[in-house]
Amino acid sequence: MFQKFLKDIKKYSRYAAYSAKAKLKSEVANSYLNWLWWILEPLAFMLIYTLIFGVVFNAREPYFPVFIFIGLTMWNFFNKTMLQSVRIVKNNKAIVSKVYLPKYILSLVQIGVNGFKMCVSMVIVLGMLVFYKVPVNGNALYAVPILITFVLITFGASCFLLHYGVFIEDLTNVTNIVLRLIFYLTGIFYDVMKRIPAPYNAVVGKCNPIAFLLSSMRQCVLYGKTPGRKLLLAWFVFSLLLCMLGVRKIYKNENSYVKVI
Amino acid sequence: MEERKAIEVTDLVISYKNFKKTSIKKSLLQFKRQKAENFVAVKGISFYVREGEILGIIGKNGSGKSTTLNALAGIFSPDSGVIDLKGHSVSLLSIGVGFQKEMTGRENIVLSGMLLGFSEAEVKAHEEEIIRFAELGDFIDMPVRTYSSGMYSKLAFSITAILETDIMLIDEVLSVGDQRFKKKSYKKMKSLISNKDRTVVIVSHNLNTLTELCDTVMWMHDGEIKKIGPPKEVLDEYVAYMDK
Repeated sequence: MFQKFLKDIKKYSRYAAYSAKAKLKSEVANSYLNWLWWILEPLAFMLIYTLIFGVVFNAREPYFPVFIFIGLTMWNFFNKTMLQSVRIVKNNKAIVSKVYLPKYILSLVQIGVNGFKMCVSMVIVLGMLVFYKVPVNGNALYAVPILITFVLITFGASCFLLHYGVFIEDLTNVTNIVLRLIFYLTGIFYDVMKRIPAPYNAVVGKCNPIAFLLSSMRQCVLYGKTPGRKLLLAWFVFSLLLCMLGVRKIYKNENSYVKVI
Repeated sequence: MEERKAIEVTDLVISYKNFKKTSIKKSLLQFKRQKAENFVAVKGISFYVREGEILGIIGKNGSGKSTTLNALAGIFSPDSGVIDLKGHSVSLLSIGVGFQKEMTGRENIVLSGMLLGFSEAEVKAHEEEIIRFAELGDFIDMPVRTYSSGMYSKLAFSITAILETDIMLIDEVLSVGDQRFKKKSYKKMKSLISNKDRTVVIVSHNLNTLTELCDTVMWMHDGEIKKIGPPKEVLDEYVAYMDK
C-alpha cells in the first residue's frame, strides 16, 4: 500500500498543486479586494476577539493579540479542512464520476488551499512578533515540527471524514457540533492550562491534540519555552498512524463511492 | 499479423449492494439492520477488444452498458472478475464532463488533461487547438459556471477529442452543440475513431452511428451479453427483438 501511495502522490501531486492554485485564484478573482482578504479576514477576527476577550473579559495573557492570532490561524485551517472534507466527494461528483483519482487527493487540494492561507497568516504572525517586540529565542524553531504534526493530523482526520461523509448524509451536522466542542476545548482565546481547573486542564491540554499543538506553538514562539517534546513525538507518531489508516480506508472503499453519490 | 488485444474483460461482475446512504437518525431508529439490496448490474460478462477495433455496445436502458463503460474507465471497481487494459491510457467521454464550476475554461482544460494522465506542458501544447476547436472565443477565460450548456459540452468534447488517449470510451455524445458543431464533431470523431491505433468503445442507441462506425457490436441485456458479432447481424436481431 505504501508503494502505491508514493506512486499516486507522485502521479497526482502536480494535479493537486495546480488545482489548489486555480482554486485560490478563482476564490479571489471575483471579489473586490482580491487577495487582500487573505490578510484582512484573520486580522479582523483577531481584532474582534482581542476586543471581546481582552477588554470585556479582561484576559491577561501577555501579547494577547498575537496569542489569539496564532490560535485563530491554526484553528481556521483545521476547522475549514474538516468541514470541507465531509462533503468533498459529493462536491466533486463531476470529477469523481468521470475519471479515477485517489480520493484523498481531493483532501490534499483543500489542505493546499487552506494551508496557503495559513502560511499567509503565519507571515503576519512574524510581523506581529516584530511589532509587539516579542523576545523570540531558539525554541521558536519547534514551530516547524509542531506544524508538520498539525497538518498530518488534519490530513489523517480528513480522510476518515471524507470516507464516512459519503455514506452518512447528516454527518455535516454532527461534525459541526463536534468541531464547536473542540473549539472550546482548544482554548483559542484563553489558556487551557490556566482557565480550566486542575486536574482537567492537563487532560484537555494533553489529550486533545489540537489544544496541545496550539498551546505548544504559543509556548515556543511567544514565550520562548520548550514544548513537551515526548508528547509532541507521541502525537507525531499518532498522526502518522492516523494518516496511514485513513489512506488505507480510502483505498479499500473509494471505488464504491461513485455508486452511492 | 498477430492480433493484439487492447482490452480484455473476464467474468466481470458489478453490483450495487450495501452501499445505501444512511443517516444517523435512520440508524438510530431502526434496530434491525436494513436488508442490503443487492442489485447486480453486470452479471459476469467476458469479452475482449482488439487494438484499433471499434466496439459498439447497445441495449435497452438499465442493461448495464454505462456501468461496464465506467468499470473500463476505472471509476467502478469490479466486484469480481478482471479488467485488463494492457497498460493503455483511457479516457471516458460522456455528457457533462467534470469541470470545476468556479474556474475558468482554460484552467479546466489543464486540470482535465492532467487527470487524463498528461503533463501540464503536454496539455499547454494542445491548449490553443482545444480552444479553437471548442469555438469558445473569449469565454475561455471566464468561469465555467457562466457557460451555456452547449458551450459546456463543446469544451468537454474538444478536450477529450484533442488530447488523444489510446482507448476512448464514448457514452452517447456524438451529438453536442448546434447543427454545425454537431457535423464538425461527428467528422472529428470519425477521423479519431478510424485511426488504426485507437481502440474505441461506444455506447449508443443510434443504430446508424453504430452501423457506420463499428467493427463489432455487443448487445447487452439485463447485465449479460446477448449477442456479440458483426454490426449488421447483431443490430438486425436487436431491432427485431425490441419491436416485438
